Amino acid sequence: MNQRRNFLTRLRHYGSAVWAENIKEWKLELTYKADFARGLIDPVVYLLPYLLYGVALVGGRNSENLKRLVGTSDIITFITLGYVFIGFLNMALWAMGFSLRKEQFYGTLESVFAAPVPRWVFTMGMALHSILHQLLMIGVQLIFILAIFSLKLNPIGIIPTLLVIALMLIALYGIGMFMASFTLIFKQGWLVSEALASILMVLTPIAYPLAVLPVFMQKLALFVPTTYGILTARHFLTGEQIDFTLTEALFRLGLLSLLWVAFGLAVFALIERQTRRAGTLSHY
Amino acid sequence: MAHRRWQIELGAIAAEFVKTMRIWFSYPIIMVYWAVFPLLWVLPYVFQGRALVGSASSEAFRQLTGSGNYLAFVLIGAMISTFVFSALWGVGNSLREETYWGTMEYIIASPTHPLVILIGKTLAEWAWSTVMVIFQAAIIALFFGVQFTLAKILPVLLLVVLLMIGFYGFAIAFAGFTLLIKEVHGWVHTLEWVFFLFSPIRYPVQVNPITAALSTLIPLTWALVAIRGIILLNKTEINLFQTVLVLALMDIVLLTAGYFLFIYLERKTRRDGTIGMH
Repeated sequence: MNQRRNFLTRLRHYGSAVWAENIKEWKLELTYKADFARGLIDPVVYLLPYLLYGVALVGGRNSENLKRLVGTSDIITFITLGYVFIGFLNMALWAMGFSLRKEQFYGTLESVFAAPVPRWVFTMGMALHSILHQLLMIGVQLIFILAIFSLKLNPIGIIPTLLVIALMLIALYGIGMFMASFTLIFKQGWLVSEALASILMVLTPIAYPLAVLPVFMQKLALFVPTTYGILTARHFLTGEQIDFTLTEALFRLGLLSLLWVAFGLAVFALIERQTRRAGTLSHY
Repeated sequence: MAHRRWQIELGAIAAEFVKTMRIWFSYPIIMVYWAVFPLLWVLPYVFQGRALVGSASSEAFRQLTGSGNYLAFVLIGAMISTFVFSALWGVGNSLREETYWGTMEYIIASPTHPLVILIGKTLAEWAWSTVMVIFQAAIIALFFGVQFTLAKILPVLLLVVLLMIGFYGFAIAFAGFTLLIKEVHGWVHTLEWVFFLFSPIRYPVQVNPITAALSTLIPLTWALVAIRGIILLNKTEINLFQTVLVLALMDIVLLTAGYFLFIYLERKTRRDGTIGMH
């Protein structure tokens, strides 16, 4: 009984720490108001070149070749949905992966590490802030795109899509932990984030179906949580043909979540211990 | 006296050049990154092309650009934009980095003007990005079959030099901006995407009347259209004259504006006492 109470108390403390970290990040972000406003426009500016490139390639909004490959010809809806998901990937790679380097810049990394909470609690706070931030960005992105183009979506598909997103976020948290640990070794963590982001951007079927990738890339893409997120969401929202059922997608995503979280936490713990032992935590 | 001052300032520029290079060589993996990854960023566009068109050439693309080879189009865009983005990050963001390293106050307190330091950083950035672009050109020529003959390289070099003179003016003004608003990391990202949107780095801006109109204000547009004309369409030197003239005029405007804006912003932050703030 006592053990259970202790566990619940500890969980409540961790919850408070996660929330405090989230609030701290929002406060920091809102301190730079111009930067925050700029961040709201960013996702739109980011998406448009991909849409215009698609229009330049096919000379309009519909692609016969895309229809042959996935059963839907509307390139605007296809690409927009793909890029909405890439925001979540960037969140894991950048916001979480870069979080420790930021603390180092602020001169607070040692204080964070000396605090009586596990590191995963700290990164979970970062993740919570990133998810909320990303949802805000997606909202703005969709409002803008809906104002210019009409997206052809099936509203019934929203519920299974949200389910898939929730599972995908767990797996991305694992990737975020993995990235954060790299910052401890390489210091210039942006490079690792950027490199992995670039590779995952190619592997994830954002603006194209998996079928156009070389076979080895198609196989690698199956280990990336956003692949299932994007394909399943587009399947439910636009009718894109996929090679697996919803149950299979959820199962694979669940498995990926388990694997990535376990892998991310294990690598982080290992690297953190080594960095502490080597005394290089505060090195630049 | 003036001669001596010039000597001292040249010494400071050389010292800054060496210092910047030393910092880069402390992170050797960054060199590999900049040589390879700008080309990797192009791959999603290649696959997107395959998915939407189904072949390596697009008729709609040909009507807009004169060449249906969208792969060569985006590769050349990636190569030339390496210069621009390395200037934006390396020069525009450089004073902010000094703030992070805790060395900004020393630069401001030293008898050398920060603009001299920025010139040193600019030269280092130029040397660095040139090596990266040569490496990228070698990869493009070897693996993607884009031909770079000497007759094509010389006019392309002229255009790149003209493009970058003006762009460094812009980057110096941006460095001044970082003194004022501090947290510019995100602004650099946005600027990057503004260039992606309003200049033909990754897609032909003529596809939309708004992007087509706004793109004419960006030197990169003029340079890229002319460079692609030379490499992909074998255009003659006569077409080059107009682009050279426009770029030279833009250089004068950007360098002058960059210089005065930097001086103004640096003075303002000193006066406000906010230079050491984060």
